[in-house]
Amino acid sequence: MDLPPPGIGPLSRLAPKPIKFVLNWGRRYSLWVFNFGLACCAIEFIATSMSRHDFIRLGVIPFAPGPRQADLMVVSGTVSDKMAPAVRRLYEQMPEPKYVISFGACSNCGGPYWDSYCVTKGVDQIIPVDVYVPGCPPRPEALLHGIVHLQEKIAAESLGDRYTGTGEPVAPPPPPRPLSATVLRRPIQPPPEAEPLSTEAATPLVLDAAPGASTQPMPPAGDAPQASPNAATQPVPGTDASGRSTTRGDHDPSIIPGLVDDEDDDQIGRSSS
Amino acid sequence: MKPAWVERFGDEVSTEETHGGLAVGVPPELWVEAVTFARDELACGFFDWLTGVDELEMGFAVVAHLYSLERRHHLLVRTRVPREDPRLPTVTGVYRGAGWHERETFEMFGVVFEGHPNLIPLLLPDGFEGRPLRKDFVLAARVAKPWPGAKEPGESGHGAPSRRRVRPPGVPDDWGPHA
Ligand code: SF4
Repeated sequence: MDLPPPGIGPLSRLAPKPIKFVLNWGRRYSLWVFNFGLACCAIEFIATSMSRHDFIRLGVIPFAPGPRQADLMVVSGTVSDKMAPAVRRLYEQMPEPKYVISFGACSNCGGPYWDSYCVTKGVDQIIPVDVYVPGCPPRPEALLHGIVHLQEKIAAESLGDRYTGTGEPVAPPPPPRPLSATVLRRPIQPPPEAEPLSTEAATPLVLDAAPGASTQPMPPAGDAPQASPNAATQPVPGTDASGRSTTRGDHDPSIIPGLVDDEDDDQIGRSSS
Repeated sequence: MKPAWVERFGDEVSTEETHGGLAVGVPPELWVEAVTFARDELACGFFDWLTGVDELEMGFAVVAHLYSLERRHHLLVRTRVPREDPRLPTVTGVYRGAGWHERETFEMFGVVFEGHPNLIPLLLPDGFEGRPLRKDFVLAARVAKPWPGAKEPGESGHGAPSRRRVRPPGVPDDWGPHA
């Protein structure tokens, strides 16, 4: 069936720049995502949506009941020629404006199966892709990085431009950040108003702050709170191998990358030499 | 189990102990009979899978894995059909679940299962030509598309001019743009 090409109404086209900026801002931080999980990469997508990486903090909402309610499709996994028509069809069911992230080597280009008789050599052969995330499988941080990139793209775009090629950009694209994706691996942070950790780190902080409050959690029995609470939330235990203390009183509580990049994050996973 | 096979089929069958259980080779004429024997006499009530093996000039082997839930033994029943005319009677009458496995073996190797109720491709997309799991099937993607993976350090993204371009394995010499 021939559908009319997607377009935008006059209100949106003629809206002044600040309004467009606000519209883009709203679209950017409420991306209802539809996961087209086809193979192993889907597991990493699920990991990204779960509590440790938690892309809802970036405004990506993984509860779209179906493609008709979604703004963003993440194709994660191996697209086979048999599956390709279904991918295309579900993409076409999504309402405009819609975005696609191709997640993993398989959906980027065929990946390990690039010479297979049945694997589509990249999902961009059937649908337009906005952001490619490389890896086999990419780590959840890589997907977070891709999402941040897509949001920057949305912030800079003009819908008139997207559909007719006549619009003017709402804002220049933000300059590239001099940060690596590992900044997204920032461990869970304690609340900023907590007491700076002293040598007496054995006592849980919340007990010091408000003894006797009714919402007091039960103090753990025995010697359990020997480790500092900060160390318990470190995802990579090997970080402490250099002997550096992991307690940081002046941490950056923001979860959005780009404000402070301290040494710790970039040290993770690298040799300490 | 081996004595039971010898007693029933004599020297028509060959048996071999493998690490996964007994493997029994039967001639194609006895295929259905052997599988029925395994189900009824050897209590192999669980049909696990059926597939083919391309053995080049020796033809195609067809292998079925059966398991007995009561006696807990594994059994591989195999036969071999000629390459020029690969035909085998279906065992869907013995195990209903063999239907999809035979369809897959049919589309991947071209082995025709006579008497199968619905022998049409199962997994391949519509219009696919060829039998992709045969060893002489050419992976055309190797001709049409360069390997998309990472290059060696220092190599540019457009191939290494210093090295002679090698043909991908399994691609005939007169295929592709560099023929
Ligand atoms: S890119 Fe790797 S991990 Fe992802 S679907 Fe393909 S094979 Fe699996």
